[in-house]
Amino acid sequence: MDQRAILDHQFTVAAYVVTWAIQLGYLAWLGLKWRAQKREAPRTKGNSR
Amino acid sequence: MKKLAIGLYAAITIALMVWGFYQAIYVAPVDAMQGEVYRIIFYHVPSASVAFLFFAISLAGSIGYLAFRRNHAIRAQAADAWALAGAEVGVVFCTVVLITGPIWGRRAWGIWWTWDARLTTTLVLWLIYVSYLLLRRFVAGPQMQTLAAVLGIFGALDVPIVYMSNRWWRTQHPAPVFGGSEGSGMDPAMVGPFLWNMVSWLAWGLLILALRYQVERQHQKLAAQDAQDALNA
Repeated sequence: MDQRAILDHQFTVAAYVVTWAIQLGYLAWLGLKWRAQKREAPRTKGNSR
Repeated sequence: MKKLAIGLYAAITIALMVWGFYQAIYVAPVDAMQGEVYRIIFYHVPSASVAFLFFAISLAGSIGYLAFRRNHAIRAQAADAWALAGAEVGVVFCTVVLITGPIWGRRAWGIWWTWDARLTTTLVLWLIYVSYLLLRRFVAGPQMQTLAAVLGIFGALDVPIVYMSNRWWRTQHPAPVFGGSEGSGMDPAMVGPFLWNMVSWLAWGLLILALRYQVERQHQKLAAQDAQDALNA
């Protein structure tokens, strides 16, 4: 594999890795937010009684 | 039943993502001019398309909120949740575009960034929607949703400008591959992988959009409950 092909490969991998890091990072943040709300929901219902 | 449908959709989406990745890396042929690095197109362009679609959903939600806020409180809150979900997930996809683009540009053009019309209008679009999210995060009070809806509508005006920028002006960014001038287009062997990745990223985007919408609806219900509790206390 020549130097150009190696660099092309590295740049492609970098773009794919960054894309998945952003998408999965956001999904994880959403999941944490969802879980926090699930925990909070019964407490709020309890206060309303 | 609802959980089963969501699980099935999530499973199909993951299968599509794996299939899209396989198509992009192993099925699509190497580009004669750019070599391997052109494969970034399979993530870059679908991300831009999905971002545009979600900003359009945010626009529809913002208009819906302004239309319903006086007469239909429940519909207005649902529209506002769509506006926020569209803007936030759109920003996520737009961020992917603004990072994968310069990585590709560094290899293809030899530079990370240039202030041409396509790149600049995309950055402005991202900044508008980041400011929309900051407004929602830090402004308190009953006018916040109205202000956000107005900003969301004005922000969406940049979407057609971004889309048309490389048709209206000469740009460093390539001319449109699809629907461009005569001679534009893609090698037929690349079209299949490209379309698979369009479908898979759209499916992924819709999944997280729906999740974000649900989180915001739950947040609205909790906030309304808190307000009711404060009144009752």
